[in-house]
Amino acid sequence: MSQEFFWVLLSKKLSGEASPEELKELENLILEHPEWQYAIQNLQDLWKHQPPKNDLEAEDAYMLHLHRMTEKNVAFDDRAALTPVVSLNSRIRRKWYWAAAAVLITTGLFAFGTLFNRKDKKAIVVISEINEVSTRQGSKSKIQLPDGSVVWLNAGSKLTYNKDYNQQLREVTLSGEGYFDIIKNKDKPFIIYTSNIDIKVLGTAFNVKAYPEDKQTETSLIRGSIEVTIKNRPNNKIILSPNEKLVVYKEPGEKGNTHLKEKELPEKIALVTIKQLSYQNNDSIAVEAAWIRDRLSFKNELFADVAKKMERWYDVSFVFENKRKENLLMYGTFTTETLEEALAALEFSFGFRYKIEHKKVTIY
Amino acid sequence: MLENDYIRRLLAAIALDNDQAAYKELFILLHGRLKQFAYAMLKSGEEAEELVSDLFIRIWQKKDQLPAIETPLLYFYTAAKNLAITRLNKQKRQASLTVDDYLVHMTSIYFDPEQLMITEEMVRQIKKAVNDLPPRCRLIFKVIKEDGLKYKEAASLLHLSVKTIEAQMAIALRRIAHCMHFEVKPIPQLHFTVKK
Repeated sequence: MSQEFFWVLLSKKLSGEASPEELKELENLILEHPEWQYAIQNLQDLWKHQPPKNDLEAEDAYMLHLHRMTEKNVAFDDRAALTPVVSLNSRIRRKWYWAAAAVLITTGLFAFGTLFNRKDKKAIVVISEINEVSTRQGSKSKIQLPDGSVVWLNAGSKLTYNKDYNQQLREVTLSGEGYFDIIKNKDKPFIIYTSNIDIKVLGTAFNVKAYPEDKQTETSLIRGSIEVTIKNRPNNKIILSPNEKLVVYKEPGEKGNTHLKEKELPEKIALVTIKQLSYQNNDSIAVEAAWIRDRLSFKNELFADVAKKMERWYDVSFVFENKRKENLLMYGTFTTETLEEALAALEFSFGFRYKIEHKKVTIY
Repeated sequence: MLENDYIRRLLAAIALDNDQAAYKELFILLHGRLKQFAYAMLKSGEEAEELVSDLFIRIWQKKDQLPAIETPLLYFYTAAKNLAITRLNKQKRQASLTVDDYLVHMTSIYFDPEQLMITEEMVRQIKKAVNDLPPRCRLIFKVIKEDGLKYKEAASLLHLSVKTIEAQMAIALRRIAHCMHFEVKPIPQLHFTVKK
């Protein structure tokens, strides 16, 4: 038996190409060449050893790739390309035009800041242009910031940032819900301001839900790590780990909470809680971020909260004639269902009656 | 093969559900390897990066056809190769690509002495052995060991016979093993005495 053949067999074994007969043959050969045992062992180790995955580099490359796709006008979200901007169908329908429905205002929204130079009291006027992206109810938008970071803006939300974003700082303000996929840059931390919390990140992906009319603000971390500061407790910094969700309840009297009776804010719930993200069966994306993948998803949520999500999703309003139904616990996922289909499915599973008139849904 | 099954599942998710997360996962999974492979042909990091991006743009644009792909890994490498040839033709740099035109960097083949029970010195010798392999042999070793192609796939990708792949793999292994062998049990030096 030639030595050449021995090496052919061994490389076949390591590559997973060898047949059972060839493996047997190799075994016999190894018995005849005990002096090669050490090298064979090492080759096997060497083979099994795969290089460490450089996912960070790949993540960066992916960002650049998405950027190139936008530049080349490749429709990443097919619906944006296929759905007409104005729907001729008068039925209430979920409108889901990424980008198309976005209202990008780069107007002369000038912010004047006046700074006084102590020496000569001369006023220096700082002018900076502000970019504002907002979405209507029932529509969503995907925005690429100047540094390549990507923000998905959920319905009825607004994101603003200065024209000089990324020159020295990366700062945005958010009202509503956004999913952020932020490019790493340790020299320029990315900061989001909302009405009651500030979030500082280095490079990560997370979801922020901060609608002014909601009674709580939610920050869900998908990966990376972020630091959250609560506005009325500036010394209290909270670091979130992946798969954690920080819920900050607005204090009674704060905007967004005025219409709530005090008993609706359960006493046992602390003003700040950290929860785990929830996942639906067979779903790799957290419920909290499912909307960016065109899914209206909820798990063990009160009908009152589900109704809020549906209001934004379908651009309708909900009225609970029967207040008891607000406390139904619901779970479910909708993708392409119309409002009628979604309500019919919920009615069937959770037991309530409803009526749709124009853009108003009444629950009995 | 496990990896092909996994890639097939991701492709199905992209084709059927427009699954952007699956698309990203696939990109992350293959980016490094495909970029290295593209680099071996184009000899430019920037162009290699663009090529991988172009390839993934096509994947998204032609996603209806994805479920029909039977050997996904080979499909990606073949597509990368075709894109590289188009590029080289356009730039009139090269009319065709033979196995000997690939430039496979040593760094793309991986050794970690910490993990292997071998000494730094042995690693140095192994690296040298790999480096001294003929270019075609090194390319084959790389696509089989690091990229996970099957012999048949590598043969199809590089227009070689499976027998050639077998033979080249044997050469690569023998040369690497040689270093290890010497390390543990040095072969006595032969002393020649030259009679005058």
